[in-house]
Amino acid sequence: MISAITTNLPIFVIIIPLFIAFILPTFSRRMKLVEGVVISTETLWLLGAGYLASVVLLQNGTPIIYNMGGWAAPWGIELKVDSLGAFFMIVVTCINLPVALFAKGNLTKEVGAKERVTRFYVLLLLLGGAMVGMALTNDLFNVFVLVEVATLSCCGLVSANSNPRASEAAFKYLILATLGSTFVLGGIGFILNITGYLNMGFAHQEMVQVWQNSPHAIWLAMSFVLIGFGVKSALFPVHVWLPDAHSNAPTPASAILSGLAVKGYIICFLKFMYTVFGQNLMQQFNMHKILVLAGMIAIIAGSLFALTQNELKRRLAYSTVAQIGYLFLGLGLMNTKGLTGTLFYLFSHALIKSSLFLAAGTMIAATGKKKISDLAGVGRKMPITMGVFTIGILGLIGIPLFSGFVGKWYLLLGSLESGNILAAIVIIVGSVLCAAYLLPIIRIAYFEPAPEKDLRDPALPQKIALIMLAAGVIILGILPGSILELASRAAAELLMIQ
Amino acid sequence: MLNLVLALLSGVVGALIVAVMPKVRNRIRNLVVLLFTILGAVFSWRVALLVFAGKNIKIAGEFAGFSWSINPDPLGVIFALIASSLWIFAAVYSFGYMEGKHNQRTYYTFLLLALSVTLGVAFSGNLVALYLFYELLTLVTYPLVIHERSPEAMKSGKKYILYSLSGAGVILIAIVITYSLAGNLDFAGNAILAGSTGSGLNLLLALFIIGFGVKAALMPLHGWLPGAMVAPTPISALLHAVAVVYSGAYGIVRVVYSVFGHELVRQLSFSRIMPWVIAFTILMGVIIAARQNVLKRRLAYQTISHLSYILLGVFTFQPWGLAGAIMHMISYSTLKVSLFFCAGIISEQTGEKNIDRMRGIGWLLPKTMVALSVAALGMIGTMPLNTFWGKYYLMKGSVEGGMWPLAVVLVISGIINAYCFIPVIVDAFRGEKVQGDTEKGSKVNLMLAPTLLLSMVSILIGLWPGIVWPGVEAVVNWFF
Repeated sequence: MISAITTNLPIFVIIIPLFIAFILPTFSRRMKLVEGVVISTETLWLLGAGYLASVVLLQNGTPIIYNMGGWAAPWGIELKVDSLGAFFMIVVTCINLPVALFAKGNLTKEVGAKERVTRFYVLLLLLGGAMVGMALTNDLFNVFVLVEVATLSCCGLVSANSNPRASEAAFKYLILATLGSTFVLGGIGFILNITGYLNMGFAHQEMVQVWQNSPHAIWLAMSFVLIGFGVKSALFPVHVWLPDAHSNAPTPASAILSGLAVKGYIICFLKFMYTVFGQNLMQQFNMHKILVLAGMIAIIAGSLFALTQNELKRRLAYSTVAQIGYLFLGLGLMNTKGLTGTLFYLFSHALIKSSLFLAAGTMIAATGKKKISDLAGVGRKMPITMGVFTIGILGLIGIPLFSGFVGKWYLLLGSLESGNILAAIVIIVGSVLCAAYLLPIIRIAYFEPAPEKDLRDPALPQKIALIMLAAGVIILGILPGSILELASRAAAELLMIQ
Repeated sequence: MLNLVLALLSGVVGALIVAVMPKVRNRIRNLVVLLFTILGAVFSWRVALLVFAGKNIKIAGEFAGFSWSINPDPLGVIFALIASSLWIFAAVYSFGYMEGKHNQRTYYTFLLLALSVTLGVAFSGNLVALYLFYELLTLVTYPLVIHERSPEAMKSGKKYILYSLSGAGVILIAIVITYSLAGNLDFAGNAILAGSTGSGLNLLLALFIIGFGVKAALMPLHGWLPGAMVAPTPISALLHAVAVVYSGAYGIVRVVYSVFGHELVRQLSFSRIMPWVIAFTILMGVIIAARQNVLKRRLAYQTISHLSYILLGVFTFQPWGLAGAIMHMISYSTLKVSLFFCAGIISEQTGEKNIDRMRGIGWLLPKTMVALSVAALGMIGTMPLNTFWGKYYLMKGSVEGGMWPLAVVLVISGIINAYCFIPVIVDAFRGEKVQGDTEKGSKVNLMLAPTLLLSMVSILIGLWPGIVWPGVEAVVNWFF
């Protein structure tokens, strides 16, 4: 029995959340039960992911290959739990659990009706399952299907509350994301045409041999993939949907969208670039330079936009645009340190941004105001919420002892190793700009006179969720241990593929 | 080792106690603050004695794959002694100055936290620890800068934090480069980059100097300092004349002597430009100071000038130059703090901040004026005061290093310093002799006592430089 579970775990971590998502609506009126089921699923999911990750770590990099239905590749669909997949699985589950916990008993106020709450949980599980699937599958068409599942769930999450601005944002997102999916599909079509395979490993081997026959087609495929995933992960200048979507969604939804959803597409993009095209082809077509450049522009532009926002959630959303820039920049550095930095920064940003959005949502709900200037004195009245928010901000700026610093350190090492001092400078300038747009929030919250209004910290589950995320930021900053190990191993594995 | 840990923790523990203490009488809270600053100083002294006796005290560990170490050496210990001893004076002064002012709890909490962080900067044994504490110092002193909560204070605070964080960012790049060149960041033993070659070293040195130069207020990176004078006077005195700005100067000493090593820096072309940047800062700082009408602003620009005295000593690469730098670090700090204290007493007791309206004020505040005169003489660098020795060694070092124009710069700066202060003192005793009880009461006594005591200490060191000389000698022997 135990061995049946462990051998089939790679498919369970994808299927079980999806399955639970489908049965939730059958008892959607019993809120307590729904929440209980979701939270226990999330916990088990985290344990399963942790188990797989530790197996991968102990095997010293040999991936767990799971052939669906017993059919070996290239005929069957292959799931591959390598260091990258294991790493991202941990990220997904570590973010999903606190977010689900945060939603417990708290969401009805924000979205209106009980059915809507259940719908939120359904979408949350669908999104998570799809994200894990994207990271594990080794099949190109599977990626497309899961990307679509994730996109539609994101869209649903944005419009989970019935406010017209949210619906508008969701519609905008839907249009752009569908466009992105089309580009991705186009890219996959090109790859299939050139190589005849949908399995990533086989496609890569074929591609290396035949690419000289059709360099233009490869170039198109690469560009399509870049544009497609760029739109979905809100790479500047195709980020336009993100600020509206993330700032109008209900609190836990914006946390999961900003913290996790955009990251899933980056992981997919990473897999396309490094495992299907391979680093030689990337260099051949200067993709690495494009990525670094795009990343630098995104860091600067996103930060400048964030500086001009007066609404708390919008400022955080633009900050996500800037942080996505760091991830793309790291992808283009083409060395182990840079890639490790990207992956670690991805986890760090996932934790930080979801904690920031959750804390921000709590404060907005308590004060009833959206503007940053209305947060005066909140820090004294809501010490835990604002404390978590402060930890998140310090982490995002990259103060030592918080997780952001470790990620930035590796990105800096990577950019210097590739001789790109400009990138290093942009990373630092980004940090300073980040301080410029986020520190005023702390100042207003702590050092300005508090309103007479009675504000207090949220209920216990929300507190636990916030503290879990903040603790993650600090633990990753001080003892990143096996997570950093997993990230650096994933980077090394990706760079082994020529 | 226990002493080291206790020295570092006393400020933090004190801050926690002050922060969670229920509202009690101010006097009890003040006693707690005083107790923990004294503890910080006592343990720093014990660490110092151990280090001077040749013991190697080290705490090291790892976080996130970075090995950090706290490993005081004579230079760090001197900085720690200056800071922790002056902290007591500033705390006592604050009890008077802050009486009846708002947000005292926040003030004292961050004052104590800043003590721990400054000691951390001083004791750090490698670049990782130094960077960590340097960054934290910005964050814990920010609430003190914006203490007034006025729009002007907020603006200055913003400027302060952006300047400092940018500087720290540049340092981070420099540290990353150093790490990839040397693979080691420890100060102990030989200089980190000793023996490396390459044209990139000039750039690296420039990055370090720019980064630390922000806090050391090296022109043109000094923009934040005059604005930061909006803080309460004890903060301007302690942090913006000593702790924060010294952490920048200290960082530069570290970079030159522990990261590059003076043999290497001497060969870099960038280090030949530095003395002239420094000379420019010395002269411009004091010239701008002479043109200021607000007393605290005049002091601020003068700080900029005097900080570069320290850097000048560093960039002579001579034992006497370094001795002068350390000596100036010690002696300048006592006098500048007392000078700021005088400015604080004047503005608190008479409400005057502008120099042109201080005519006749000496009759109201005779004791303050005595302290002010002593400090003013010290700024000029005349004989019976401790700054004389620093200046003397600096000149000796410059001449020995073949840079005699720098000695001339020091003389000129002394003359302009005289022009800054002598008229103020003379004017203070002009006009009608007025009687008043401006200098009576417990509030002003609490402010006067540390001020006068500092003047006495300065004269004592000036007459008998042998008290501090062993420390200076230990630093020079450590690096040469």
